Amino acid sequence: MANHRALRPKVLHIAVASILFGPAFVAAQSSPASQDAVAKTTKKNSNAAASTKGWTMPRTPDGQPDLHGYWTSETFTTLERPAKYAGREFLSDAEAEAAQKAGLQRAYERTYDDPVEEPVYDSTTFGLTPALEGFAPNKRTSLIVDPPDGRLPPRTPEAMKRPKAIGDRDYIEPDGHGSGVVHADTPRDIGMRTTCVSMSGGPPILPGAYNNGLHIMQGENYVVLQAEYGLEVRMIPLDGRPHASANIHQWHGDGRGHWEGDTLIVETTNFRPEATFRNANPKALKITERFKRVAADQIEYRFTIDDPSTWTKPWTAIVPLHTIKGPFFEYACSESNMDVVNIMAGARAEEREAKTKGAPSSKE
Amino acid sequence: MRLRTIVHALVTLFGLALVFAPVRPVAAQTPAAAQNKVLTPGQFPPYKAPKTADGKPDLNGIWQAFVTADIDVQDHDAQAGPHPDTMGAYGAWPGGQGIVEGGEIPYKPEALAQKKANADKRTVVNITSDPHRHDTGDPELKCYSPGVPRANYMPFPFQIIEGTDTILFSYEFARGVRTIYMNPNDSNIPKEAPADSWMGWSHGHFEGDTLVIDSTGFVPYTWFDRAGDYHSDALHVTERYTPVSPYHMMYEATIDDPKVFTRPWKVSFPLYRRIEKNIQLVDFNCTEFVLDLLYGQYSKRPTK
Repeated sequence: MANHRALRPKVLHIAVASILFGPAFVAAQSSPASQDAVAKTTKKNSNAAASTKGWTMPRTPDGQPDLHGYWTSETFTTLERPAKYAGREFLSDAEAEAAQKAGLQRAYERTYDDPVEEPVYDSTTFGLTPALEGFAPNKRTSLIVDPPDGRLPPRTPEAMKRPKAIGDRDYIEPDGHGSGVVHADTPRDIGMRTTCVSMSGGPPILPGAYNNGLHIMQGENYVVLQAEYGLEVRMIPLDGRPHASANIHQWHGDGRGHWEGDTLIVETTNFRPEATFRNANPKALKITERFKRVAADQIEYRFTIDDPSTWTKPWTAIVPLHTIKGPFFEYACSESNMDVVNIMAGARAEEREAKTKGAPSSKE
Repeated sequence: MRLRTIVHALVTLFGLALVFAPVRPVAAQTPAAAQNKVLTPGQFPPYKAPKTADGKPDLNGIWQAFVTADIDVQDHDAQAGPHPDTMGAYGAWPGGQGIVEGGEIPYKPEALAQKKANADKRTVVNITSDPHRHDTGDPELKCYSPGVPRANYMPFPFQIIEGTDTILFSYEFARGVRTIYMNPNDSNIPKEAPADSWMGWSHGHFEGDTLVIDSTGFVPYTWFDRAGDYHSDALHVTERYTPVSPYHMMYEATIDDPKVFTRPWKVSFPLYRRIEKNIQLVDFNCTEFVLDLLYGQYSKRPTK
């Protein structure tokens, strides 16, 4: 009856993902779940360092740098710099290789470490595709490059008092073990991602546990940024039009793009209050993204978060994007969403059980 | 003298034109003549679409259908929608003429019974944690992906972006999205649908200015309209998008599904370009609006 208690939020999302990707997808992937594979993949990754020798910028027929294709933001570097790397911006080659190996190992273990009796998601099959294909280790000790200490600037007093936006809610009370008391009185308690209202999709583009792919398309006066996770698209006009009125709020903000030399700049405002990045102020937040192709297999993606009402100063991170093979598959999230039913039905069953046993319900 | 002759000839021609106008097909008119009069609906002078930078017909833009086929692809009267006691005219559905060639959908007898059962239970929503959740209730009501061709005649705009080797259809309704694969030589793109999906697995090519899209690999859960018209997982849709002016495309879809229909059948209607200077898709992420409809039965209390 209380099975859902054992499911960690991550696994629940994963359950949806696994339903969506059919057996054909499973068959198409190799799943060498062994130490050997980790070693082999690590080697491949080390050899896959971006090469710029003899490389010239590919261009679209109308002369823009060609960014089109499938990319991944997968990285084992954390957003903030860990204390052990304080004062150091880069890892040595050996450290980078070790970090890549450790990251892959962690990803493999994710499947078998699950407390669920029957794991429904095989990380070695679904989560590691980009890693198996190989991407250069990120030598940076943090994705944040500004402030120079690699740490988020302090939040303002105003931001610290701000209640958590609905999108950031967690329906499981954290107990330090990935499980805890479930709060699921109504579907709104469960949060935007698990209810499939929005799986994020940026901006900014930041990797998560899986589905870190990005499909970039370039059309006439438009760039399209499509996240693999949720398959949500951002259509960015490049024709110089102003932002939509302040009364229009988009789930991925209202993005406007232009080229500065060979760099694509996308400025986004008009965020929805429920879906604002890191509980920022939707009225004040401006996210500026810069896409620059630096090699045949790599885009340097840099974003700056500017919201003086939330952080004491703007901050900037670099997330390298590496080429991967397409295509992406449909992510029919709400259509296949079993999580919400299971979480809520489980919570009701638990309440009934508590009543039968005569124990006082935790929520009454 | 000469001038008078010309004027006389013109007057005579004009008179003749008036006499013959009602019976002359508009298509036979010269473009110059066409510019001076209102065209017969559905008829356009010959047109060549502009080309993209890489030389393909340019269909980029934001488009919308103005038919009532989402209510019923066949001819139908106006009707009160669900809950007229509270929804009044807000919830009422307009009548309209159908988009089905020949007027009737060639259902197999048992399939016609299923269509009627669908219509009877179009507002019965019972979301379970298994595929029985799809047994009743119009997917549109649940904010599920509308499928093909329904996505194209929802009363919402959609945007076409032609990329290097893909064309993206981004639909305002329910954040629907289709990627059309245009490069048959790309070995990374499976020919056959690698998994079933709501919006199908689509390959496309141009025939002249016409974009032809071939889609298969559909789940059996989408409907064609609120009237319960439906299909099976054997659905195969062939669409043709033909630009006929800078602002119009003629749309045609051939629907083939031998499990449900006795023969392939066609729908057609025009698509109109949205020409507002600042036009852009404004999110209609209706999943947020249906949370209580879908999951209310599992809630502890009504959502405020």
